[in-house]
Amino acid sequence: MPRPVAHITAPWPTQDEMEKSLRISKARKRALQPLVDELRAKLSNRKEVPVALIEPEKRRKRASAA
Amino acid sequence: MPLLPDLKSVFLNVPYDEEFSSLYIAYIVGLCQLGLVPHLASEIPGGERRLTRIIQLIQSCRYSIHDLSRVEVNVAPSATPRFNMPLELGMTITWQVLNPGQHTWFVCESEPYRLQRSASDLNGTDPCIHDGTVVGVLRELRSAFRRDRAPSVPQMLTVYGLVDSALNSVFKKNGTRNPYNRSVFLDLCSLTVSLGTFYPPAKPAV
Repeated sequence: MPRPVAHITAPWPTQDEMEKSLRISKARKRALQPLVDELRAKLSNRKEVPVALIEPEKRRKRASAA
Repeated sequence: MPLLPDLKSVFLNVPYDEEFSSLYIAYIVGLCQLGLVPHLASEIPGGERRLTRIIQLIQSCRYSIHDLSRVEVNVAPSATPRFNMPLELGMTITWQVLNPGQHTWFVCESEPYRLQRSASDLNGTDPCIHDGTVVGVLRELRSAFRRDRAPSVPQMLTVYGLVDSALNSVFKKNGTRNPYNRSVFLDLCSLTVSLGTFYPPAKPAV
């Protein structure tokens, strides 16, 4: 049997539709807004993360903290 | 008869352990970035028996992902293999066979050919091999769920890095360090969706 592939032809959902499907409340959104603003600022100042940099270091750090 | 499944919904059947948390966040970020909605068993409010809730969740999702990469026996005393993920995969396969065309399931593994030993009944099923890495999870999700204008793996990785960097703030906000906690899960989804630059603008109110 070949590996299944899902070809998604439905239109891209809007952010509102995603939040509705996830049942994210307005209160939750409001509470997260400062963090979202902070991350958006980082995103606008940032280039793509080099793939090689993200993995082993972070996982080692997490494992040793546990 | 259950309602038709939500076409965006994906049931995420993953191990709930500390060492898996990076890959778990990668699944959340990757799925949300592809315009799909992840769902976890822990997300459903209590009340009914857990197994009943999981079955209802499988039925309500168009897709499911079953990560069987952590099948190894724990080294702690009274080491016990993990059966929850294969059990939920079995329930999903039954549902899919009884309702053709309503559900598509994917099996993920970190090592090639191990599935042939751990669950030989699945021979003939080609699993998604993510190599136990975040990049691998994002790459495999992007290959499994194909759609126009899908973000590239580096783009998804950028959002992953940001969401992951916010994890401690999310833990603090929720008073827990459990990434699988329902509220933490929803916060991680919400952050990813808020950072997604791939969604079209909201439709104007008529």
